[in-house]
Amino acid sequence: MIEEPYRWVEAIANRREYIEGQLAPGSPIAALGYREGILFVTLGQTRQKLFEVYDRIAMGAIGHPGDIERLRMAAIELASTEGFTRSAADVSLRRLVHYSLSPVMKSAFEQIYGPPYLTRMLFAEVGARPEDDLFLRVEYDGEIASNGATYARARQDFAVLSGTRQSVELMEAFLKSEHKPDASFEVAVNSALDAWSIGHMLLQAGEAKELPARDAIAQHRQEQLSIVAIEAAVLERDSSRPIRYRSLADKELRSIISR
Amino acid sequence: MDRSQLGFDQNFSGAADDDFPSLLRRKGLLAPAVIGSMPQNSRQQQTWQPTEATTILAFKFSGGVLVAGDRRATAGNIVVYDRADKVLEIDSHSIMAIAGVPATAWEMARVLEHSLQYFRRTQLQEMSVDGKVRALSKLLRDNFGFVMQGVGVVVPIFATYDGNSKPEARLYFYDAMGAQFEATDYAATGSGSPAVRGILYYENTWGLKRLHKLSEQEAVSLALRALDTAAESDTATAGVDRSGKIYPVIKIVSREGITTLPENKIAAVFKEMVA
Repeated sequence: MIEEPYRWVEAIANRREYIEGQLAPGSPIAALGYREGILFVTLGQTRQKLFEVYDRIAMGAIGHPGDIERLRMAAIELASTEGFTRSAADVSLRRLVHYSLSPVMKSAFEQIYGPPYLTRMLFAEVGARPEDDLFLRVEYDGEIASNGATYARARQDFAVLSGTRQSVELMEAFLKSEHKPDASFEVAVNSALDAWSIGHMLLQAGEAKELPARDAIAQHRQEQLSIVAIEAAVLERDSSRPIRYRSLADKELRSIISR
Repeated sequence: MDRSQLGFDQNFSGAADDDFPSLLRRKGLLAPAVIGSMPQNSRQQQTWQPTEATTILAFKFSGGVLVAGDRRATAGNIVVYDRADKVLEIDSHSIMAIAGVPATAWEMARVLEHSLQYFRRTQLQEMSVDGKVRALSKLLRDNFGFVMQGVGVVVPIFATYDGNSKPEARLYFYDAMGAQFEATDYAATGSGSPAVRGILYYENTWGLKRLHKLSEQEAVSLALRALDTAAESDTATAGVDRSGKIYPVIKIVSREGITTLPENKIAAVFKEMVA
C-alpha cells in the first residue's frame, strides 16, 4: 500500500478523519496571559487535563489518556534532565516542542502501520512580561500553532484548545475582542469561563459560524458550572519563587465568578 | 514506528525503580551507583578518615525546626571559602544541611531537589516525608563506593515539615552509608558537632527551658552560641567572623514553609546575646 502514493494519501486522510472524530468531544481549554501570569481553565469532572511540566511550563491536553500520559512523561523527562544538567533557565518550551515532541508526533502520525498519538495539546511558558508569554498548540500530526504574530493576525495573549476547528475559531474570536493582557486575575477567570462556554456550546451545536448571544453564553455557563467542577491552574509571573505552577481548587474560583 | 526518540521506555512509568536518579543514569548524566573496592595497591591498610570539616546543627523549637550552619569550606588546613552555604533548600518545606565533601554534597542536594520535583510532576502528588527521607538515604548509599575510595563522604541532616498525617516538624540525621535516624529534639553533624551535641544535650536537659519551648529569639541565640563554641576548638568551623561580618546561615522550617533569617537579624541577636 505504501508503494502507491495515492493509497498513502488516502490512508492519511482516513487516519485524520478518525482522529478528528475521536478528539471532537474533548472539553475545551482556555489559557490566558494576564498581568500576574498565565491562567489555564477548563471544566470537567472525569480526569485531570491540566499538568505542570517544568518550573515555568504547563500543559493542557485532550485525547486518549494513554497517549497524553506518554507525551506528558516525555516532556517532563526532557525538561527535567535539561534543567538538571544545565539550569532551569535553559529549559525552553520552544525547543521542547519544536525539536522533541513535534517530530515524534509527526512520524507516528505518518507511519500508517503504527498507532498515532491520539491527542491535542496546549503548552504555555510564562515570561517576565506578558509580551514574553509563549503559547504553543500541538496537533496529533505534529503541527504547531503559536500565539506569535503571522501575516494574517497580530500576536495573541491567549491560546485555546478544543475538539473541533469551529469551536477553536470562535473561542479565539471571542478572546480577541474580550481579553487584554493586562487583565486582572478576576477578569481573566471570567473571560476564560466565557470562552470555555462558547467552545463547549459549539461542540454541541456543530456548525455555527457566529458567536452565540451574550445571555446564551451566560446561561450555558451557569448550567455547566452547576453540574461540573472547574479545573484551573496558574503559572505565576512573580519570579521570587522558582516553581511557578499552582493548581487552583474549584472552591477558590467559585467566589470570584461574576454572575 | 520509532517512538524511542523521545527517550522513554515502553514499560510502565512510575515504578519505584524508575526514579529521577535512575533516569539520569540511563542518560549517562550521573555516576553509576557501584560499591567500589579499597585501593588494592596500597601497602598499608588504609583507614577511612572522616573529613566532614564543618558544623551543622538543627533542633526543634516552638516555631518549627531551626537549621544552622557555619560558612567555612576547607581543604586540609587551608580555608578555601568563607561564604559557603551548607544549609540548602530542597523544596518548599525541606532543608538538607550538609557536612562533607562539597562537590558531592551539593550534587547530592541538586539530585534530591530535582528528584522530588520530578516525582511531583510525573506522579501528580507530593512525595511523603518518609519517601523523601528514604530518597536521600538511597543517594548516600549509592555514593558509598566513593566514600570507600576516600573521596566524597557526605553526612547530612534533613529537616522537613510533615503537613499530612500528623502535622509536625521532623528532623533526621544520617551516617555516611545512608542509615537514617529520626531525632526527637536535636541533631548535629560535622567536625564541630561533638561540642555542639554537648551544648544541646545540656540545654535540653538542664537548661532554663527545653529546646522545643524556646522562642525564635532564644533559639537563634542558642544556635549562634553553639556554633561559636564549636569554632573555638574546631579550626574547620568558622562560627561568626566578627571582622568580616560573615554570619552563619540560619533557616527555619515551619508549617508555612522555610524562612531564611536575614543577616541583620542574626547580627542583632549576635550582638545582644553572644558577642
